[in-house]
Amino acid sequence: MRAAEATHHAADVHGHPQGPITWPKDPFMDRASALKVGMWIFLLSDAFSFSGLLLTYGMLRAASSVWQQPGEPAFGINFTAGLTFLLICSSVTMVMAVAACRAGKRAKTLTFLGLTILGGCLFLCGQFHEYFGIGTHGLVAEGLKFGASHRATTFYVITSFHGFHVFSGVLILSIMFVKTALGKYDNGNHDALEATGLFWHFVDLVWILVFTFVYLIPEPGVLP
Amino acid sequence: MSTATSTRSYMIVFGILTVLTVAEVGVVKVPAIGRALLISALVLMALAKAGLVLMTYMHLGHETRSLKLMVILPFVLPALYAFVLIAEASWRLLP
Repeated sequence: MRAAEATHHAADVHGHPQGPITWPKDPFMDRASALKVGMWIFLLSDAFSFSGLLLTYGMLRAASSVWQQPGEPAFGINFTAGLTFLLICSSVTMVMAVAACRAGKRAKTLTFLGLTILGGCLFLCGQFHEYFGIGTHGLVAEGLKFGASHRATTFYVITSFHGFHVFSGVLILSIMFVKTALGKYDNGNHDALEATGLFWHFVDLVWILVFTFVYLIPEPGVLP
Repeated sequence: MSTATSTRSYMIVFGILTVLTVAEVGVVKVPAIGRALLISALVLMALAKAGLVLMTYMHLGHETRSLKLMVILPFVLPALYAFVLIAEASWRLLP
């Protein structure tokens, strides 16, 4: 059991670990914690879910001589590029939050975590605006109907599955924000925050690919 | 790696990601660009961005070779599979 061998730098009166935990050196994983390795395995499985969706999308699109059906709206590339930039910014603030936690700076960690959560929330607002329109018509009202075409269905399935990941990420980040504010990570044990960061960066990474494949590649399919 | 150097590398990567995003939006608007060239450029830029996020922000570059291979190797066969299936699907559209 690696966990049993993990070295606690200090323990409080109840025997709970207080300081950063140093994992015993593993020949394959070095000092990566079980939580981190577990998060990587989860991200792999999640990546395969997205791969399946993107592969289906690619095949359907490559086999279509007309992809955008008559009456369907085009996607707002500039607006979505803004959303992409937003996620990239929130990835930077996330990585800064982990660095601040490692340095034992609680206030700085909270600031960067708060900015990351803000970025995620703004992204979700942006996606809501894209679908339903805030003060204007969204894609739904403009005639992109789920189930009406391969383009509409793959678009909604892929982007909403990703949006669900952003939503989950915001929830997890909010929990981490509260735990950080309560001083749970003041001892410099940034392991849980780093695992949260891995999930958040993964969500950013997937969006980078979705932005290219779903939004940027112009009509119709793959062939010239 | 010290905090100052890692912060600097995070900001450099942030700059590269931003520039690549602008370039992606820009290249779509280039008139009369060849379709094969456009799609290759877009896919390469997206993979470069994904790789940067993976290696620096997710710190995969600092992990052991085993962990790197554990994350990257499983995608080799699906990538091949995707290439073959998409090529096969588009093949039917050839005149």
